[in-house]
Amino acid sequence: MTRPAAGSHGSTGVSSRMTRSLDPAVVRALGSVVGLDHVITERDRLVVYESDGLTAYRVSPQAVVLPGSTDEVAAVVKILHGAGIPVVPRGAGTGLSGGALPTADGVVVGTARMNRILEIDPVNRLARVQPGVINARLTEATRPHGLYYAPDPSSQSTCTLGGNVAENSGGPHCLKYGVTTRYVTGVKVVIAGGEVIELGGAGRTAAAELDLVGLFVGSEGCFGIATEIEVRLLPLAEGVRTLLGIFETMEAAGHAVTEIIASGLVPAAVEIVDNATIRAVEASVYAGGYPVDAGAALVIEFDGTEAGLDAEADAAERCCMAAGAREVRRATEATQRAKLWNGRKKAFGAMGRIAPDLLVQDATVPRTRLPEVLARISEIGERYRLRVANVFHAGDGNLHPNILFDRNDPDELDRVERASKEIMKLCVDVGGTITGEHGVGVDKRGYMRLVHGPEELAAMAAVKAVFDPRGLFNPGKVLPDAEEAHA
Amino acid sequence: MSLVASLAAVLPGAELPAADDRWPWAAEPAMAVVHPSSTDEVAATVRWAAANGVGVAVVASGRRFRGTRPKGRPFLILATDRLVGTEIYEPADLTITAKVGSRVSAVSAELRAQRQWLPYDPPHLGDRTLGGLVATGESGPLWMGYGELRNHVLGATLVTGDGRVVRLGGRVVKNVAGFDMLKAVVGSRGTLGVLTSVCVRAFPIPLTDRLLVLRGESASVLLPIARAVGTAPLMPVSCVVMTPAPVFSAATALLVRLHGAEPTVEADQRTLEKHCGVSFERAEAGGPNASVPDHATDGAVVIEASVLPTRLPEALVAIRDTVGDTPLAIDTYRGALRASLGASAIGAVTRLTARIEALDGALSARSTVPGIDAEALGSRPSRAVTELTTRLESAFDPQGVLWPSRP
Repeated sequence: MTRPAAGSHGSTGVSSRMTRSLDPAVVRALGSVVGLDHVITERDRLVVYESDGLTAYRVSPQAVVLPGSTDEVAAVVKILHGAGIPVVPRGAGTGLSGGALPTADGVVVGTARMNRILEIDPVNRLARVQPGVINARLTEATRPHGLYYAPDPSSQSTCTLGGNVAENSGGPHCLKYGVTTRYVTGVKVVIAGGEVIELGGAGRTAAAELDLVGLFVGSEGCFGIATEIEVRLLPLAEGVRTLLGIFETMEAAGHAVTEIIASGLVPAAVEIVDNATIRAVEASVYAGGYPVDAGAALVIEFDGTEAGLDAEADAAERCCMAAGAREVRRATEATQRAKLWNGRKKAFGAMGRIAPDLLVQDATVPRTRLPEVLARISEIGERYRLRVANVFHAGDGNLHPNILFDRNDPDELDRVERASKEIMKLCVDVGGTITGEHGVGVDKRGYMRLVHGPEELAAMAAVKAVFDPRGLFNPGKVLPDAEEAHA
Repeated sequence: MSLVASLAAVLPGAELPAADDRWPWAAEPAMAVVHPSSTDEVAATVRWAAANGVGVAVVASGRRFRGTRPKGRPFLILATDRLVGTEIYEPADLTITAKVGSRVSAVSAELRAQRQWLPYDPPHLGDRTLGGLVATGESGPLWMGYGELRNHVLGATLVTGDGRVVRLGGRVVKNVAGFDMLKAVVGSRGTLGVLTSVCVRAFPIPLTDRLLVLRGESASVLLPIARAVGTAPLMPVSCVVMTPAPVFSAATALLVRLHGAEPTVEADQRTLEKHCGVSFERAEAGGPNASVPDHATDGAVVIEASVLPTRLPEALVAIRDTVGDTPLAIDTYRGALRASLGASAIGAVTRLTARIEALDGALSARSTVPGIDAEALGSRPSRAVTELTTRLESAFDPQGVLWPSRP
């Protein structure tokens, strides 16, 4: 893709394939800390780390280091920053904004070995984990205690909690339960120069301190590396009701979302999939039983105390029918529910069947503007002769218009870029923003000027400098270079 | 030109000098009180102050302002009482943007007309301004069911200490477009800038709001039951122990609040009673419930201690040992205890802080009585956190204009 150059930090135009060997003395020093088995410098092994989930960007790092403890992370950062070498933190590499994209002159510090659940405290409903713990694994481990970890990004079977903290990840059920930042009560962090600091803590809520935990969450690896994370757990819901609303058009489904939220109902999730997505999913191994002739479908879920759920589901069904639903189905068994969710959560993967490349977009708009925005996205897709498939968190107004394309077609690639920019501008113009949960990374930093003025960007740069005065943590992410601004 | 004349030229509406004594925390009189009516006027005031070496003390309702003394330099009071009114309210989006001087009671009334509300219950909520609420960042016990206030502030306009206008966040419920500076601003008590408008998330008014009451002889008797509430397979929206509890005709009361549809709340009460092995009474909605959030807030010094919920009994003993039998409000899910103390107990606060810190907790103290610098008696951040905080404050307020009493 014709993406902004993401080579050496602090400048553009440096080849992303620039190969410059890491100083052998630095390699030896890193090896003395983590063991040479955990320092990767061979070109063929580095290929794995060239990109994250946004594969359109690829940069080979100088090396990858895999520390196994907070002390090792601190020592590694001290060595690298001492040598003026940028550090790019990486979890599972499932991010969709290029947040873990290496820099050609930098070293990736991966948290894959730091994958232990350190403590589950069921009485205080807390867990303390290392950053490499996979999101879904925490819920599996806490389920025997009647507890779970609420944020559930679609990649939860592979993404890590460290990555979730970096990106302030969301997920379908964040409509009711909120995103990652609501659940992180404390973090141990390695910041510039290898200093280890502890922020927050569930027992320290009375401390008269700035909310540095809240500031750190969502900082996309630009402030430091979280090496221990304390999170709040919730009790498992007694019951759940999952509905599938089937609509002739996306617009009608959008109106149903507005009706449901405005009625005072508090669903756990309201997800929307359009016809293109339904067809892709139903033709794949992830088939969820969605009718392929539907213009759109809503997955609506309520959870909580069993006694009230049927009434809530009935009310949501009435909202759907009032908005013009063709039919509303209910998942009556756990396997049906799991199938519906599998279809929704694996939709991105299913799209691989219908196009070689996929640009997963992410933006948020005020819920009431959903029908209008969906219609205009459709129009933009037609005007640029592109296929756009929508699957997103409708209850939050968090859109994921996915553009299907072939990167080997330069003309189509150019149209993807222009359509994408137009969609972002549309979302901002109606009062929304350029990313709801995927983060800015490298992918969206060119759009940052659509939503932030010079004062806001200067303030963000100043805040980064508080944690990272030399700009050596994840350089080239989040903040735009002036010449790269799309606005 | 004198300072006073210089300020008058910038803000013709300023009271020169300060015309009243509404702010008794200030040991020295302010040189002026200004009442800006727009973000631009706030920015002009702060820029003038920065250029002339004058401190700016922002006062909303004045109720919660830190009782500390300016340190020997002129300062002005920036009152937010003319920054009032709703800017944008979209009921179907469940968001409202209002100027910071708007009373929470006025915002709540506007929301109520659309069957919506703000699910926060810190002390004296009705008297507070929206800006004051956000500046202190206090959620009250309802955070158990709804999350903390900081998670519901979606956007804000902030004038930094050098007069820059920075717009933080936005008006949508999910937004990760850049570093979340808003989180640091909520609860920063004006140290990072002057808020002029904020956008917060509203919620549908629950169909049923039930307060369950269990009377007891003492907090130590009720805390184990409160812990059982905290481990029940459901989520009450708040759980508080208050002592004394004359409004409930009891020495101590455990108060559990349930929200939801009637059948849900009914079932939750049954589950809770079975899980805890007790029978709750129901209090009338809107009755005694209304006084609970303000409990233990009227002393010369108010302390807030926090520990993990399982350590609440030890924290209770520490409080009784050091400051004696004093009114308490205990948010048992959060592990937070608020106590109101007489002025004579001030000498014991340092010892209490040490006891709470020994439980891996923290303590903060405040006073609205002139001459009592209670804040200095609470827990101190670690060296690293202090350094980060200082650098952050300097980034937003390079000349230290805001909060002129800052050490």
